[in-house]
Amino acid sequence: MPRPTHASPQTLRLFEALLTEPDRWRYGYDLSRETGLASGTLYPILMRLAAQQLLDTDWEASDEPGRPPRHTYRLTADGLALARERLTAAARKQRGPAAAFVPRKA
Amino acid sequence: MRRVARTVLVAAVRGRRDRGGPWGEAALAEFDQTTGRWEALRWAAGGLRAVWHERRARIKTLPRGVRLQRALVGAALLSVPAAVVVNQFLLTPRYVPSGSMEPTVQVQDRILVDRVSFRLTGVRYGDIVEFTTPRVPGYPVLKRVIGLPGDTIECRGGQVYRDGTALNEPYLDTPAATENCGAAVTVPAGELFVLGDHRVVSQDSRQWGTIPVDAVDGRLLTKFWPLP
Repeated sequence: MPRPTHASPQTLRLFEALLTEPDRWRYGYDLSRETGLASGTLYPILMRLAAQQLLDTDWEASDEPGRPPRHTYRLTADGLALARERLTAAARKQRGPAAAFVPRKA
Repeated sequence: MRRVARTVLVAAVRGRRDRGGPWGEAALAEFDQTTGRWEALRWAAGGLRAVWHERRARIKTLPRGVRLQRALVGAALLSVPAAVVVNQFLLTPRYVPSGSMEPTVQVQDRILVDRVSFRLTGVRYGDIVEFTTPRVPGYPVLKRVIGLPGDTIECRGGQVYRDGTALNEPYLDTPAATENCGAAVTVPAGELFVLGDHRVVSQDSRQWGTIPVDAVDGRLLTKFWPLP
């Protein structure tokens, strides 16, 4: 069976990071540090999520002089639902079929 | 190092524009957050990948006609160096200025010379090879391989003998027309004994002696003009 969309380990790591504080606007470098994903992995995932309206994006003006405005990200309601669903599915899968089958004690 | 990485990323994101696409700009805006040269380099490299993805997504939104046009222009530009490489190293078309290989190859025929396969298979009996020789300055000549190293070639009564056995040469117009071979020749290592098919007029190993294998730069693949 093909893997459902947005279920790669990298995407799941990003979902975890975005779900810790779903209301806070996050930015690329901070997400990259938290997830350990390189920019070349992180940005394409963000692009894909944003293109499917799972991710809100915004430009946040800089509070320090000389720093350019930042592109910030937050999951949309759809994105939140999908992220939770994918993470629970992954957790269930990790426990594995052996855990799903609990033999009855005699 | 950091400056170079940044410059490359800026160039990739913006090109000649003031501002690039949002994702490229996003990666660029975060660049100054990185600490140290390796992290900066890694960030910039990933940024390039992001730019590439963004660019591909943008190209997909272009009208079909524009995309087709770009693909055609790209293919046309790529085909020039590709054609040069093929022409120089793989298959070379040639004009035949001499009748020494008639009737197999006529004067004014156009032929394709295979520059690679003889290096893989080695030169064999009956191959028509192209080589340059100081005896014919200016252009490469085509001759048929009659003797390989170790063979003894001689002719008697117009007939060619290899190691004492008469050759069957169905490709000749007039059989038994090979004269002026002189004394029997034993082909030294690394040399070839070659003859033109038009034995009456051809200048070949009968006059020049054997030729070095290293001088061979191709093998006749086919005649492509006039059309068969």
